[in-house]
Amino acid sequence: MENRKEQPKTVNANMPRLGPGGRPGGPPGGPMAARVNGEKPKNTKGTLTRILKYIGKNKIILISLLVLMVAITMIDVVGPMFQQKAIDTISFSGGKLKVDLKSMGFYLIIMGVIFVISSIMTFFQGVLSAKLSQATVYSMRNDLFQKISKLPIKYTDTHRHGDIMSRMTNDVENVSNAISQSITSLFSAALTLVGVFSMMMYYSVIMTVIALFTIPLTIFISSKLAKFMRKYFVRQQRLLGQINGQVEEMITSYKTVVAYGRENEAVEKFGDISEDLRKCSISARVWGSIMGPIMNFLGNLQYVVLASVGGFLVITGSGSMTVGKIQAMLQYSKNFSRPINMIASQYSSILTALAGAERIFEIMDSPDETDEGRAEIDIDNIQGSIEFKDIWFGYVEKEPVLKGLNLSVKSGEKIAIVGATGSGKTTIVNLLTRFYEVGGGTITIDGINITDIPKEQLRKMIAIVLQDTVLFGDTIRANIKYGSLDADDDKMRKAAKAAMADSFIERLPDGYDTMLTESGANLSQGQRQLLSIARAVLAEPKILILDEATSSVDTRTEMHIQQAMVNLMKGRTSLIIAHRLSTIRDADLIVVVKDGKIAESGNHEELIEKRGEYYKLYSKQFAGQTT
Amino acid sequence: MRKLFRYMKPYAFLAFISPLMMIGEVVADLILPYIMSFIVNFGITGIDINDAQKGSPTAAAIMRFFHGNDYGNMDIIITFGILMLAVTLAGGFFGVFCAYTAATAAQSFGNDLRCHAYRKVMSLSIEQTDKFTTGSLVTRMTNDITMVMDFMEMLMRMFVRSPMFLIGGTIMLISLNLQFGVILICALPVLIAVLVIVLSKAMPLYAVVQKKLDKVNSVVQENIIGARVVKACVKEDYECGRFKRANTELRDVNYSVLKLMAVISPVLTVLQNLAVIAIIYIGGLNISIEKNGMDTGTIMAAVTYVVQVIMSVMMTTNMFQSISRAAASARRINEILDTEPVITGGAVCEGINKETAVEFKAAGFHYPGTVGRPVLSNINLKIKKGETFAIIGATGSGKTSLVSLIPRFYDTVQGEVYVDGVNVKEYNLEALRRKIGFVMQKSELFSDTIEGNIRWGRDNASEEEVKAAAKTAQANTFIEEFSEKYNTFIAEKGASLSGGQKQRMSIARALLRKPEILILDDSTSALDLATESKLRAAFKETLKDTTVIMIAQRIASVMEADRIAVLEGDGTILHCGTHQELMRESSTYRDIYDSQMKSGAYAGTMEGGL
Repeated sequence: MENRKEQPKTVNANMPRLGPGGRPGGPPGGPMAARVNGEKPKNTKGTLTRILKYIGKNKIILISLLVLMVAITMIDVVGPMFQQKAIDTISFSGGKLKVDLKSMGFYLIIMGVIFVISSIMTFFQGVLSAKLSQATVYSMRNDLFQKISKLPIKYTDTHRHGDIMSRMTNDVENVSNAISQSITSLFSAALTLVGVFSMMMYYSVIMTVIALFTIPLTIFISSKLAKFMRKYFVRQQRLLGQINGQVEEMITSYKTVVAYGRENEAVEKFGDISEDLRKCSISARVWGSIMGPIMNFLGNLQYVVLASVGGFLVITGSGSMTVGKIQAMLQYSKNFSRPINMIASQYSSILTALAGAERIFEIMDSPDETDEGRAEIDIDNIQGSIEFKDIWFGYVEKEPVLKGLNLSVKSGEKIAIVGATGSGKTTIVNLLTRFYEVGGGTITIDGINITDIPKEQLRKMIAIVLQDTVLFGDTIRANIKYGSLDADDDKMRKAAKAAMADSFIERLPDGYDTMLTESGANLSQGQRQLLSIARAVLAEPKILILDEATSSVDTRTEMHIQQAMVNLMKGRTSLIIAHRLSTIRDADLIVVVKDGKIAESGNHEELIEKRGEYYKLYSKQFAGQTT
Repeated sequence: MRKLFRYMKPYAFLAFISPLMMIGEVVADLILPYIMSFIVNFGITGIDINDAQKGSPTAAAIMRFFHGNDYGNMDIIITFGILMLAVTLAGGFFGVFCAYTAATAAQSFGNDLRCHAYRKVMSLSIEQTDKFTTGSLVTRMTNDITMVMDFMEMLMRMFVRSPMFLIGGTIMLISLNLQFGVILICALPVLIAVLVIVLSKAMPLYAVVQKKLDKVNSVVQENIIGARVVKACVKEDYECGRFKRANTELRDVNYSVLKLMAVISPVLTVLQNLAVIAIIYIGGLNISIEKNGMDTGTIMAAVTYVVQVIMSVMMTTNMFQSISRAAASARRINEILDTEPVITGGAVCEGINKETAVEFKAAGFHYPGTVGRPVLSNINLKIKKGETFAIIGATGSGKTSLVSLIPRFYDTVQGEVYVDGVNVKEYNLEALRRKIGFVMQKSELFSDTIEGNIRWGRDNASEEEVKAAAKTAQANTFIEEFSEKYNTFIAEKGASLSGGQKQRMSIARALLRKPEILILDDSTSALDLATESKLRAAFKETLKDTTVIMIAQRIASVMEADRIAVLEGDGTILHCGTHQELMRESSTYRDIYDSQMKSGAYAGTMEGGL
C-alpha cells in the first residue's frame, strides 16, 4: 500500500474517468491522494479529545482502572520499604550478626500480603484494560463501518481502496494498542515519576534540582535521535510497501508476466528493492539500538553526579546532607530514569496511534450520502416511467459530461443507450440511482422527482447489473439471493434459469452450495455475469439496468436471456447499455448519446433509415462483410 | 526451520561475532551494580575499603592502581564514577555493535531468502500459483519472511542474553548458598507450569484471532469494492449487521486472549516476591542459628539474582513462543522453496515446419485438481502461418483454455500441441513464449508509465516503434490526449482507464513484441464497433506475416478471418472453416449468426447499402 503514495504522477483527467468498478469516478488522486505521510498527527488536541470521548463511553471501567493503577503504583513505591525493613532487622553488634526473627517475620508477612493484593489488582488491571481497549476499538470499528456504508459512491470512487482498508485495519489496530498498552504504562510512569520526585524533594531539594538536569538532556537527545531515526523507519515502511506491491502486482498478473517472459526483470527489480530494504533496515536497527545505551549513559551520569555532589556535601559538611539521605537519593535516581525511558518508548506509538485516529476521524467527518427525500412511495404501484429533464452533470467541475440531456422513457419500455466510450452512458445510470447527484435539471420516476424519494425506496425499485461483476465470498445461492434474502429456493432457481446460469451451476460439484473463492476465480468471466443477472432477476425490480452486463457472454446465451427477460420485464422498464448490436437491436427505443446530449433516438430500423450517428456506429461492423 | 539456516552460511562470521558482543554487553550490565555499590559503600558510607569483612580487595586494588595509597573518599567516588561511565560506554558499544552485526547478518539472510523465494515463485507454473492463491503467496513472501528474519536477529541477540542471565543467575545463587537453590527449584516449576498452561491455551486462540480479523477485513473489503452493489440492493443495514457480528466475534476472542494473558504478570509478581521473602527469611534463620557465611550482603545479592532468574525464565518463554511462530512461517516458506515448477522447458529454440504455425493433435484438457467433464477433448487443428484464425463458442466452452495451451500456461492432459512443427514441451520456454504475443481477456496493466507498460512487449524497442504499435492498436489518440502523454503513470492496475483503453494498451504491448503468433482472447469486447473495425483494418495492413488467433463473441469480429473454429458446449470442435462454409455446415455457428444478425431489415440494408 505504502508505495502507492509515492507515485509522482497520476492519470490526468480531462474526461470522466472510470473508477475502480469500471464506473466513472472523479479523477484518481483527489484530495486524499496526497495523504498525510507517516505518523505525524495534525490536530493533536482535537483528536485526543475524541479518542478520550470513545474511551469515556465506558466510564465505570475507566474509573476503576485508574483507581487500580494508583493503588498498584503506590504499592510498588511502598513495597521495597518493607523489604528494606525486614533486612534491617539483621544487625551487626559486637562483631556478631544478630537477627530479630520475630519482627523480620512480621515485615515479611506484611510484604507477602501486600504483594498478593497487588497481584490480584494487577490481574484486574490487565482484564479491565483489555476490556476497555476492546470495547473502545469495537465501537470505533462499528462506527467507522457504519460511516463507510453511508458514504456516497463518490468517496469510494475517488479514494484508494487500499487506503480506506488500511484505516479500518492498521489505524484502528494502532489505536487499540495505544489504549491497551501505552495509556496504562504512561499513566503508571507518570504516577511513579510524581511519587519518586516528591520523595526526592523530601530528602533534598538541591540534589533533586541537580538530578533534574538530565531530563532536558534526555528529552533533547531522544527527540533529535527519534527525528533522525524516523527517516529510516519511514523509508523502511515505504520499501516494505513497495515489496508488497511488487509481489502482489506480479503474482496477480502472473499470466502476463509469463506470457511476456518478464520473470527475470521482475526478479531483478524485486532484488533491487529488496537490497535497498536490507540496507535501510540495518541502518534503522542500528540507530534504534543506540537509543538504549544513550539513555543508560545519561541515567548513570546522573547517578555519578549525584554521588559526587552528595559526597562533596557530606565531606564538606555543608547543608544537612547525611549518608542515609544520599543512599536514598541514589536509590531513587535509579528509579527516576525508568519511567522517563518508558514515556520515551511509548512516545512514538502514541504518535502513531494519534495519526491513525486522525485518519479514522477524517472518514467519520466526511459528509454522508444525502438522503432528504420524504415522499411516501408505494413501490408495488410504481409504473416505472422515467424522465430526464435538461440534465447537466460533470464529475469534475467545469468539465461537464452531460450537457442538457433530455430523455423520456415510458413505463414498460426497453431502452438501449449507445454511444462511444466516454460519451456519458454510464453517467445516466449513476444519476438515476443517485450514486451521484445531478448538477442541474431533474430526474423523475412516475412524475416524482427522485430527490424526493427516500434512497432506500428508490434503489429498491431498481436492479442494476454492472460489467465488472461483484460477487461475495459466499455460496452461489447466497450471491444470487443477495438482493432478496427472503426469496425461496424455487424462485432462486427460476431466476438462475432465466439468466441461463442454472445449467452450469448444476454441473459444479456442489451446485448452488459452491463457495466462490476470492473474486470468483473459479468461474469464467461470462459465468460471473450470468450470476449477477440472476441476482437482478430475482430482485423483481420495477426498473432494470444492464450496463454492459452481457459483454463476456456469448450471443446465443444472451439471446436466450433476452427471451426470458421479455416475459420477466413485462410492464417493467429496462435500460440497457451495450456495444453489441445483438444486445440492443430489439429495444423499443435506442438513444445515441453524443457530446453529453441525445443525438438521435428511435428503433433500430428507423435509425438505420436515418443514416445518422447510429448508422455510422454500426455500419462499420459489417464493412468487411460485403467486400 | 533447519533448512533455512543454510541461507545464514555466508553470514556465519557475523552471526558468530554478534553473540560474543552480546556477552560483552551482559558482562558490563553485571559489573555496573558492583561499581555502584563501591561508590555507596566506600565513597559515601565511608566503610574502609581494606576492611577484612566489609571491604573489597578488588576495589582496593583498583584505587591503588590509580592513586597509590593516598586517596580520600571523594577520589573513590570520582574514580569509580568515571569507571562506571566508562563501563556504561563500553557496554553500549558492545550493544550497538551486537545490533549492527546481528542486523547485518539477519537482514542479509532475509534478503537472500526473499530473493531466492521470489525467483522460485517467478519460475512456478500457472497452475501452481493458482493453487497457492495470490493472497497466500504475498503473505509468504512478506510477513513470513519478515517473521523468520526477525527471529534470526532475536536468536543472535536475545537468545544469548536471557539464558546467560538465567544460567549465570542460578549458578551465582547456588554458589551463595545451596538452600537458595532449593527456593529456585520450588519456584521455577510453578512458574513454568503456569506459563505452559496459559500459553498452551492462548496460542490456539491467537490463530482464532487472526481468522476473525481476516473475516472483519474481508467484510470491509467486499463492501468497499462492491459499494455499488450494496447500495443498489439497499443492503447497508444487512452489511452493517454482518460486520457487527464479525466485529463482536473479534472483540470477544481478543478479550479472552488478553484476559488469559493477564494472568501471567500477577503470577510472576507473586512468585518473585514469595521467593524474595523466602530468601530473606532463610537468610535470617541462618544468621539466628549463627551459621557462617551468611550476612546482609549475601541476602541482598541473592534477592537480586532470584529476581533476575525469574525474569529471564519469562523472557525465555517469550522466545519459545516466537520459535513456534517462526517455525510455522519457515514451513510456509519451505513449501514455496520445495515446489518444483511442473512445466519446464526443453532445449529447442527454433521451429522446423515452415508451413504450420500451430497444431493441436487430439488435445484434451481439464484443470488440475478438478473432476467431471473435461474442458477440452480431442481437439485437432492445424493453423497455417500468416493465417487469421478465429475461435467462437458458448460461454464456458473452453476457448480461453484452448489458447492457454499454446504458450504452455497449462499442459495438455491428452494429445499434444505443436508450434512450428515442434512439440511445445520440447521448446525452451522463453523461446516459445517469445514467438507469441498474448492479449488476455482481462487486461493486466502494471504500475508504470503508459510507455513502460507497452514496452513490456519488447524492452529495446525504439520510441517510434512504441508509438507505431500504439497507433496500430488505436491507442495513440487517447494516449496523446493525456497531458503527460506516454509518460502518464498507470496506477491501481489501470483503474482510472476505461475497459476499452486498457484493452487497446494491452494490444499495443503485444504488437510491439512483433510476435510470430498473436493471440487475442476476446480482447476487443469493450471497444465500440467503429474502433474495432479500425483496429481490424490496421491489423490487415501491418500483420501480413503474423499468425493471428482470436477469440471473439461477435460474428462481425470473426467473419473476416481466414478460418473459424466453432467450439461446442462439450469442448470439442466439430466444424472449422470459412464463414460461408460454416454457415452451410455448422448449426451452432448458424445459431450464433442468427442471434446476432437475425434482423432481416438490417442485413438487407447493409447488403444494399454497401
